[in-house]
Amino acid sequence: PNIPEGLPGDKSTNRDGVLVDEFGLPQIPAT
Amino acid sequence: MAHWFHRNPLKATAPVSFNFYGVAGSPAANKICNDLRTTRARLLEMFTDLTCNPEIMKNATDAYFSLLQGFIISLDGSTQENKMRFIQNFKWTDTLQGNTPSAQQDAVFELVSMAFNVAIWYTKFASRLAGKENITEAEAKDVHRSLKVAAGIFKNLKEVHIPRLITPAEKGRDLEPRVIDAYIIQCQAEAQEVTIARAIELKHNATLIAALAFETANFYQKADHTLNTLEPECSSKWRKYLQLKQHFYMAYAYCYHGQTLLASDKCGEAIRSLQEAEKCYSRAEALCKEYRQTKGPGSTAKPSEQLFFLKLGGLIKNTLEKCQRENGFIYFHKVPAEPPQLELKASYGLAEPVAFELPALSEQCTPEVYATFDLTKGAKNDKAKPKQEEEVKPVKEPDLKPQKDTGCVIS
Repeated sequence: PNIPEGLPGDKSTNRDGVLVDEFGLPQIPAT
Repeated sequence: MAHWFHRNPLKATAPVSFNFYGVAGSPAANKICNDLRTTRARLLEMFTDLTCNPEIMKNATDAYFSLLQGFIISLDGSTQENKMRFIQNFKWTDTLQGNTPSAQQDAVFELVSMAFNVAIWYTKFASRLAGKENITEAEAKDVHRSLKVAAGIFKNLKEVHIPRLITPAEKGRDLEPRVIDAYIIQCQAEAQEVTIARAIELKHNATLIAALAFETANFYQKADHTLNTLEPECSSKWRKYLQLKQHFYMAYAYCYHGQTLLASDKCGEAIRSLQEAEKCYSRAEALCKEYRQTKGPGSTAKPSEQLFFLKLGGLIKNTLEKCQRENGFIYFHKVPAEPPQLELKASYGLAEPVAFELPALSEQCTPEVYATFDLTKGAKNDKAKPKQEEEVKPVKEPDLKPQKDTGCVIS
């Protein structure tokens, strides 16, 4: 398997269950 | 995108020798006192060391606080106060009160004052890093995190440790609720500024950006209102900063809200929103001038001449022109007299303080060693040798001016 990139805990979800980055922004920009 | 943040000066303190003459009755007790002196001195050095980073700061803070807690928490298993808590007098100046120190003979006062300065250091570290010309993603994360760490320290002090002080803080001092609340909110608002910049860079939708900018403006307004009953001579400059940021982010909110309105074919309302953005921007510009002219603690800067400020002006102008063009060709909407109501709730990007925890008590501080501190011996010696009053010298801080932002990108 590949070496994992980034640190555990880099990504989390907000209260609506949307995957967010460390800044609390959605992982996929919704433009 | 380079950021600019106002910073008040660090707190200054008198040196503390932790020389308790006969009180420390064993080599291990003496070692604790020596280590307290050296770890305190090192932590103070770190505040002005430009090479210090959050990791070094955390280690220096933990080293001192793990020992200082030996003078605060109960070590003999009783519910009584630690016998060493009130043995040493500590002097600290306040971030808004010049060189007049407060003094309390209380280790808890030392803990909260020092931790307060650690929080201020995190805000200054963030400010230095955020002022860089081309800030990387990793640096932006550091800035964001440092501001949330600082907010967490202030919050923890306010909720847990300051209430334990026997002498409450006087008006306008750092440890009083208004001042500490303003610092907490300012840290959160500034962290959100970093998030807004990132959201723009990653081309998140205009609704998200408008909502976050609106909430950030409200944070700045709240911080400003928190300070409105303080003496103007110590708080005016800081308040001008909070006000200029409030108007600046309201301009952002109206600008991006206008984009959302245009996207949903509400061109007249979009024009009105952009006109309101222009108004807020002009007010922010005027406040930048007032900020520069206001005397008080903190740095002098020309925020309205920096790129982050000028960029928004250009964006508002271009978006408004685009809306007006489209209205002249396609929509022919009437522009309403009243600006649109901003009732935007941010679902993304709100900055929460990072919980602050004190380190574990040092292994040196055992009940056995603690029992060898004998307060009765110290009292006699204190009378024989009156302590010399130590002066509190202001902290010589490194230059916090942000680097010149030219706006040029080497590709």
